[in-house]
Amino acid sequence: MVATISEQNSVSVAKELAIKIEHLNFYFGTGELRKQVLFDISLDLPKGQIVILTGPSGSGKTTLLTLLGALRTLHEGSLQVLGKEIVGLPDKALIPIRRNIGFIFQAHNLFESLSASQNVETSVELTRNIGEKRQLAVDMLGQLGLSDRVDYKPNALSGGQKQRVAIARAMVNRPKIILADEPTAALDKASGRDVVTLMRHFCEEAGTTVLMVTHDNRILDVADRIINLVDGRLESDSDLETQTSRIS
Amino acid sequence: MGRRVSVAWMNLLHERTRLLVAIAGVAFAVLLIFMNLGFLGALTATTTNFYEQFNADLFLSSPETLEVSTTTAFPRERLYQAEGIPGVSRVMPLYSGYVLWRNPDPPHTSRAMFVWAYNPDDPVFLMPELETPSARRILQQPNVVFYDLRSRPDFGSSEIGTVTEAARRQVTIGGNYSLGGGFAADGTLIMSDQNFVRYLSPRPLDLVDTGLIQLTPGANPERVVRALEQALPADVDVYTKAGIMLRDQTYWISSTSIGFIFGLGVLVSFVVGIVIVYQILYTDIRDHLPEYATMKAMGYRNRYLFQIVLQEALLLAAMGYVPGLIVSLGLYELTLNATAGSLPVQMNLSRVGFVLVLTILMCSVSGLISVRKALSTDPAEVF
Repeated sequence: MVATISEQNSVSVAKELAIKIEHLNFYFGTGELRKQVLFDISLDLPKGQIVILTGPSGSGKTTLLTLLGALRTLHEGSLQVLGKEIVGLPDKALIPIRRNIGFIFQAHNLFESLSASQNVETSVELTRNIGEKRQLAVDMLGQLGLSDRVDYKPNALSGGQKQRVAIARAMVNRPKIILADEPTAALDKASGRDVVTLMRHFCEEAGTTVLMVTHDNRILDVADRIINLVDGRLESDSDLETQTSRIS
Repeated sequence: MGRRVSVAWMNLLHERTRLLVAIAGVAFAVLLIFMNLGFLGALTATTTNFYEQFNADLFLSSPETLEVSTTTAFPRERLYQAEGIPGVSRVMPLYSGYVLWRNPDPPHTSRAMFVWAYNPDDPVFLMPELETPSARRILQQPNVVFYDLRSRPDFGSSEIGTVTEAARRQVTIGGNYSLGGGFAADGTLIMSDQNFVRYLSPRPLDLVDTGLIQLTPGANPERVVRALEQALPADVDVYTKAGIMLRDQTYWISSTSIGFIFGLGVLVSFVVGIVIVYQILYTDIRDHLPEYATMKAMGYRNRYLFQIVLQEALLLAAMGYVPGLIVSLGLYELTLNATAGSLPVQMNLSRVGFVLVLTILMCSVSGLISVRKALSTDPAEVF
């Protein structure tokens, strides 16, 4: 009886949370060279929240991001992404989980040989929605203000435009979670601002959870919540929006 | 619109210079393979194509004979014994050997010339130039020979009436024919058995180099071969025309270094192709590592990256094969002309297919070696 109730409880909690982390530890290396980089992290990210992760370099921000993105195998603690436990999963089982997550990198990582639309289409192809992929890609680029650039190669686009193509690629499949690592680092103030405003706009609309690592103080105001990580431990966690409901 | 974006194709097209170098590399390897196989095929053809001109169904040859120009003679009685077997209509002794032929033109250098000799009354060859009664009369004259028009030009004039020396005896060219001597002989002569005794003295005519047998119409060659094998002692082997051609081909390809040389040539070209394609693919993968890692982070499986690299390899194979084939056809033609038709380098469909398979294999191997780089990218490293 008790077990059933707690199970039901955990299912309902999982429905509300995009990411649930409990007592997560992570190490690099093995044997004598083993070095712990994340210490006992517990964190809940509700759906639709925009979270900025800050901290000095070497604090483990990017490592945490790659763990949430199911890019590394995990052994200690608990990490549920969209209700699915990924601690202990082998690399192969992580691949389908990545498809629910949009990644935005510091570098745009676009194929120079493909047009903006084709770069976005490579993402749509993962969903087997191949018949409409061109339409979906063009719509997404249009919403990011790139309607007149859909058939341009990355070489012919500015830095901000390239980053917006990368964002279109991450968002075209309407992922439930977006993980971004310094998305504005390579951009000037105005384009950086544009890029995060667009991201915020879309994520609010689609109820997407965003976790963004950044050093860029100019964009902190887009966040609902700011988490500070120091030496692999959660240092501070501040809600900027009082109406954001946190489930504990 | 309903097709996947061909990342492989777009990546290849994007770097035009690299693509051209890659195509040239594959084409070069394809060309080398075609030339090696062409020479090997021509060798095989030349060792046997003169057999087509023999007016015989079965052949007798000593078991010690390696191929038609390296014979061990056997007693002429074997032919007479064979004549008594049912189904045999005619037997003809054929003699062969080399004489030193003096170039009638300056600087009068001497070279070994291959000689066929037989009784001019026997219809040994099918060449029309030798079938006329006047040709037979000319052959019967002492010190008169017929000269192969497909002999190399280094032997000198082929003109009828030319007088020079063979084996230090005066000789006159009394006629011409077209046969070719393959790899064993750069030039050939035909003479009567009586002249053969003069030029290759001391060579008795009761020792025969090759025995030619004609069958009566309707006789079953296989049955006659079996009957001959039973009737004749072990110092002769009996061959059909196809059988003796196979014997010579096998000798040239496997018992001399020639087959090995061209086989090695094919292998080396194959390896050169693998290295070239590997270099191109590896550079391409290295340049796109962040993109490939991004694709893995997006949720693409290794299989997809594998497909991209393999597709690039196969596209290179196809794009390099076609120009390689075209240039090879040109070089075949050039070789054919340069050797005045004595080296019949010819393309055939099975070789076209074989080299295509080799090219695909070559590029696939390169793809498989270089793809490991793409597969080993860690999507967590792009951050």
